[in-house]
Amino acid sequence: MPDRTQPPSRQLIAGIPYIKPLGAKLGNGLPVYFLEGGTEEFVKIDLVFFAGSFFQNKPLVSFATTRLLRSGTSAKSRLEINELLDYYSAHLQLDAQKDIVSVSMYVLNKHLEPTLALLAMILQDPVFPEDEMRTFLKNQQQIHIINQKKVDHLARTYFGELVYGEQHPYGYRLKPENFDMVEREDLLAFHQRWFTAGNAFCIVSGRLPAKMEKMIATHLGNLSAHPIETAKPPQFQMLTSGSRKVKLEMPEALQSAIRIGKQLFNRTHPAFHRFKIANALLGGYFGSRLMQNIRQEKGYTYGITSNIISLVRSGYFFIATQVGADVSEAAREEIYRELKNLREKPATPDEMESLKNYLSGSFLRSFDGPFSQAERFKELLVFGLDHSHYDEYLQTLKTITPELIMATAADYLNEDGMMEVVAGRRDS
Amino acid sequence: MVKFHRHILSNGLRVLVHRDETTPLAAVNILYDVGARDEHPERTGFAHLFEHLMFEGSANVPRFDYELQHAGGENNAFTTNDITNYYLSLPAQNLETAFWLESDRMLALAFSSEKLLTQQNVVTEEYRQSYLNQPYGDAWLLMRPLAYDVHPYRWATIGKDISHIRDATLQDVKDFFHTYYHPANAILTVTGNVEESRVFELAEKWFGDIPPGPLNIRKLPPEPLQKKEKRLSAKRDVPQHQIYMTFHMCARNHPDFHTADLISDMLANGESSRLPARLLHDQKVFSEVNAYVTGNLDPGLLVIAGKPHLETDPAEAEDMLWKEAYDLVANAVTERELQKVKNRVEASQTYSESNVMAKAMNLAYYELQGDAGLYNKQIENYQRVKAEDIQRVAGEIFRRDNLSVLHYGNSGTVK
Repeated sequence: MPDRTQPPSRQLIAGIPYIKPLGAKLGNGLPVYFLEGGTEEFVKIDLVFFAGSFFQNKPLVSFATTRLLRSGTSAKSRLEINELLDYYSAHLQLDAQKDIVSVSMYVLNKHLEPTLALLAMILQDPVFPEDEMRTFLKNQQQIHIINQKKVDHLARTYFGELVYGEQHPYGYRLKPENFDMVEREDLLAFHQRWFTAGNAFCIVSGRLPAKMEKMIATHLGNLSAHPIETAKPPQFQMLTSGSRKVKLEMPEALQSAIRIGKQLFNRTHPAFHRFKIANALLGGYFGSRLMQNIRQEKGYTYGITSNIISLVRSGYFFIATQVGADVSEAAREEIYRELKNLREKPATPDEMESLKNYLSGSFLRSFDGPFSQAERFKELLVFGLDHSHYDEYLQTLKTITPELIMATAADYLNEDGMMEVVAGRRDS
Repeated sequence: MVKFHRHILSNGLRVLVHRDETTPLAAVNILYDVGARDEHPERTGFAHLFEHLMFEGSANVPRFDYELQHAGGENNAFTTNDITNYYLSLPAQNLETAFWLESDRMLALAFSSEKLLTQQNVVTEEYRQSYLNQPYGDAWLLMRPLAYDVHPYRWATIGKDISHIRDATLQDVKDFFHTYYHPANAILTVTGNVEESRVFELAEKWFGDIPPGPLNIRKLPPEPLQKKEKRLSAKRDVPQHQIYMTFHMCARNHPDFHTADLISDMLANGESSRLPARLLHDQKVFSEVNAYVTGNLDPGLLVIAGKPHLETDPAEAEDMLWKEAYDLVANAVTERELQKVKNRVEASQTYSESNVMAKAMNLAYYELQGDAGLYNKQIENYQRVKAEDIQRVAGEIFRRDNLSVLHYGNSGTVK
């Protein structure tokens, strides 16, 4: 019979088995990186364009341009494109974010040739048919209107506006009428200006077939190479000071969504790694103080989380939860108490060990397999970093002390400048 | 192809191992053969509430999550109408920690009324967050009892009502544990960078002395054949009307299951499938459409749902969905369309095989259905389906007297 009272021996991870990216530059200037690995005959092709909402002059233009890439080219209709993608079971993700647009295709190696050709075609020659655009925008407008009924969605969008200001694309909160104001010419111009080889990079990951490099060069080598020097991003003012609160009353709501946080920095900042670790202790995993207190002890919520989000020109920290309307004030108080504790109450040896071991395991997991490795590598390229950035994180994780965590919280998580949104029902 | 080895302990625990040396991780999955369908009709939501309590500590491990985090691991669980599934992954060198943790909570879960009360609160908030405080969130709480008259699929895993969760007692918890949480009612799978013989040794060491409990022999009331169309209209303050149509279909182990699954894919899997291509893009009467099978172990449902635009009459919209479904009965599909949906199955199966956690879950789930080897036969089972099968099975499913319809929205006047 085993001794159940003692845990089996546990070892920290030794390091991360990075897949070394092999780089190449195509004739049109597109940098391409190959990450070989995995067990199945499957590849993922990621194309990243620096063409997120930050670069648009009008709300929704980046989003609509990206999502409508598959809606028709001069040679093929929407239906033809989608039928081919579906027939060859290529999974295409079109994702427009604040800084970047991500076009990712997962496909079985045996269907690579025809789908890669199609991918290149929709990237080079989308025509954004008026009719397709109107249908898309109308449907998205409906989804937007439904989202206005969700407390967590409201808290998220108002929080962005509080942190960055309503003029800045990082903080802009969409309105229903924005969906009526997009013109086909906006999309054509945006595509021509930002979806170019010189403004992008490509990562190919998975079990790479022998002719992979050649295939990529043949198809993606034709992307237009416009020099990006001529394309300057628009300039915006970012709000940077003051702490503000917003309460959104929804009398019918059974729960209130709470979001508390502030503008900070991104992963290129010298304090990023230690902040990330301090954040994990606060609300970055199931064992975190917020989760243990507000869910596991008090039962106020199904979940609570905190995070730091890196944007190319900024970064922000937030805590988010949805709690019973009757305990929303109590939950708010506990959140501020935990912020104070993070600044003043050193982590116990138990807390430290659990935090460090969990984070190193979780870090290892985030590199599992070629597609995850590609994702982590993409993150580096967006911020102009290399793998030493991740080594530094592991090093910080090894050496961080309870004192450094408190000092980090004192530096960056004081209540001064904290923004707060509560969407839902006021305590009765 | 996912190669695996199987070993059954003398207490009935089924253990399966698949080795994948390309990962530094190990994944461990424990499936318990108990789900919401096993609940008493006046104590619904209990299997799921119980799942929460499985993380609240056991005789020798007061803090389950803490100990796992200590080993660099991460875990979660889910409850369905059929099963309760616990899964974790951790660095492969710490595999034994998973055995220590999982065996201790199977052997001796710690019971406490304080922990029960806290988790009753947490699940109440989950109920509100996911079902009551969301637009359309309670649609399935209405749809299930409409579609099913007697089978326990008539309630959702979260439960019929919050009061059922509130009323659960510590004695209910103990009884449930002793009835369902024992080796003979569980399947353990381990995948990743692990050695087969080592996994079987660990299984003997940590689980070998746990006594088996009673076999779970179900006597669930089968759903009688539906005789006529059922309709319900729910008035709710949502911006847009939504129509839900469900049709009874076969169970997962039935030879026609794959055909029905492909039918739902033809309707709404991918941008070029019938409902998005025709009703959303061409005719522009819907803003969202969907179709899928519930894929239950007992006979399940084929679901078609859609949100018509504000200017579309809901009754007409319903008719359009019906006509698209019926088109699969009236007209044969082309080989190209059939091949298209089969190709998608192949891609998603291959993709699932590139992930250790997904492999561990799938092996356990197919083992429950009789043989983990079924996992490797899936692509073949779908490839076998012919155009005439599609038409025949569509004809069996898409009948007016096999239909339940829910109209959910502001108008609420549809009879």
